[in-house]
Amino acid sequence: MLHFYLDKKLSYKFIRKIKIPHYSCPFSDRPIMANSLRLYLTCIRNTLDAALCLQNFPCQEVERHNKPEVELKTSPELLLNPILICRNEAEKCLIETSINSLRISLKVKQADELENILTKKFLRFLSMRAEAFQVLRRKPVQGYDISFLITNYHCEDMQKQKLIEFIVQFMEDIDKEISELKLSVNTRGRLVATEFLKQFI
Amino acid sequence: MLGAQINPLIAFCPNNNEVHIYKMLEGKWEKIHVLHKHDQLVSGIDWSRRTDQIVTVSHDRNSYVWSQEASEWVPTLVILRLNRAALCVQWSPKENKFAVGSGAKTVCICYYEQENNWWVSKIIRKRHDSSVTSIAWHPNNILLATTSTDGKCRVFSTFIKGVDTKHTSSGSDSKFGELKALISFILQRIVLYLFTYLIVSVTLFAVQQIMQLDLSRSWTFGIRWSPSGNTLAYAGHDSMIYFVDEIGPSPSAQSVAFRDLPLRDVLFLSERMVIGVGYDCNPMVFAADERGLWSFLRFLDERKQTSNAKYGSQLSGTFGKLYGQSKSGSNEANESSRTRAHDNCITSVVPLKKTRDATVTTFTTAGSNTFQHLMDGKVVTWDLQQQQDLMEYLQG
Repeated sequence: MLHFYLDKKLSYKFIRKIKIPHYSCPFSDRPIMANSLRLYLTCIRNTLDAALCLQNFPCQEVERHNKPEVELKTSPELLLNPILICRNEAEKCLIETSINSLRISLKVKQADELENILTKKFLRFLSMRAEAFQVLRRKPVQGYDISFLITNYHCEDMQKQKLIEFIVQFMEDIDKEISELKLSVNTRGRLVATEFLKQFI
Repeated sequence: MLGAQINPLIAFCPNNNEVHIYKMLEGKWEKIHVLHKHDQLVSGIDWSRRTDQIVTVSHDRNSYVWSQEASEWVPTLVILRLNRAALCVQWSPKENKFAVGSGAKTVCICYYEQENNWWVSKIIRKRHDSSVTSIAWHPNNILLATTSTDGKCRVFSTFIKGVDTKHTSSGSDSKFGELKALISFILQRIVLYLFTYLIVSVTLFAVQQIMQLDLSRSWTFGIRWSPSGNTLAYAGHDSMIYFVDEIGPSPSAQSVAFRDLPLRDVLFLSERMVIGVGYDCNPMVFAADERGLWSFLRFLDERKQTSNAKYGSQLSGTFGKLYGQSKSGSNEANESSRTRAHDNCITSVVPLKKTRDATVTTFTTAGSNTFQHLMDGKVVTWDLQQQQDLMEYLQG
């Protein structure tokens, strides 16, 4: 098993020297796949549109505090029913809302072991930098790959439509990103192996 | 967040712990005062017209009554005895007392004690199951309606000895007071889009609670009485607005479901017209026809067509680029034209000008956006004289 590491500089250096022709997309059944992706994203978009009706709500349990109720779950009357949107067995999205906060958890498609590792490392990389994203949660919810926490303060500072756009765009980009990473890993592996074995020719 | 106004003055809280008072000078709003006493967000403001006092409540469990002394606003302490945040406040119609709804699941009725020069409160405890989000006084200065995040609307009688004069109650009131039996009936109506049903339990637990309405399955906000006190209206978070007629002898309720996002606040413009504001950034007009059936009329703001968001193919591939993209926000061609007055959720609506017969022709709404590029929040004044098709409902 080739050992790799997510080092941007190294991969750039490598690619620039060798000049690999870019592979065409391996997904041959693109129209069908794009359709189901569109449906999935539209469903999530509409659900978020309805769920992102948040308002400032002071904590009922502790005085002078203001906490995201979806994380605490101390008052059941302040929580709404969670919605699970599944694209297939591998991909799903859980949306939990409360009166002042919303939590979105995503499970990304992982076809094989390599994608499993790539997804885990990539999303961990992003989650560690959650402050920069503001709406990202540092640890994903149990059973999912990545989670977002949106509070009423985010809705006040940013436009609701832009927030929804960001989430949906993120989901699209994750898929592209993982497939490109997988391609680059396989490419590098092949190149390194070719170079190494040349000495035995 | 909007408070109240006396033409041409307006008081509001710009989403922090201050209250700003603006005055209309030569067609422009000028900031004349800043009231700075609270530690946390000011959640409710009300301005009494006759006594010219402002009452403010805040998330820091405090409340102050401000009176103007020689162009300075001086706060007076209010003994609220709250142990959680206060969420809403309103002066009673006679302005001798005010009510505060709180996150401690209680409602405080405050009145002035002359001997000690402060405001004291009577607390309605153990009646609400969750935070009290909105309150409204009936024109008779005694009845108080509350909404809460447990989905129920309750009507209380807040007679305080020494503050309220014992009026010879009208026939319907005394019959109401003697009602001790538990009545529950189910009413079915077809309104607009779906079947609605209602279960009303009219009980007398103790002296205070008169009625509890269990119409909504979700949180309720924005309760208001009609100008005559005959009808009650409040909004539920399940995109419904509820109208209850004839509180007293035989209450009858209607639920109007609409297909847009929920409402946060309502306002009665006349006996037959109601404005609802909420997460749609657009005030909605509801009107009752001659038979008393309420329905959604239209939006107030003319909306232009919004073009669909184009999902531009993003150049993904490097972490830096993704990082940079998300930092600068979205950069797709999402060109929804922002021709509406508000960009973000509208949190409250108050009347601006009342005609002699208590119909409101102009009102203002306040939005909750604090977008960095724009000014903090927007307060928009709406004038209904321009809308001819709505004028007929105003006379009713």
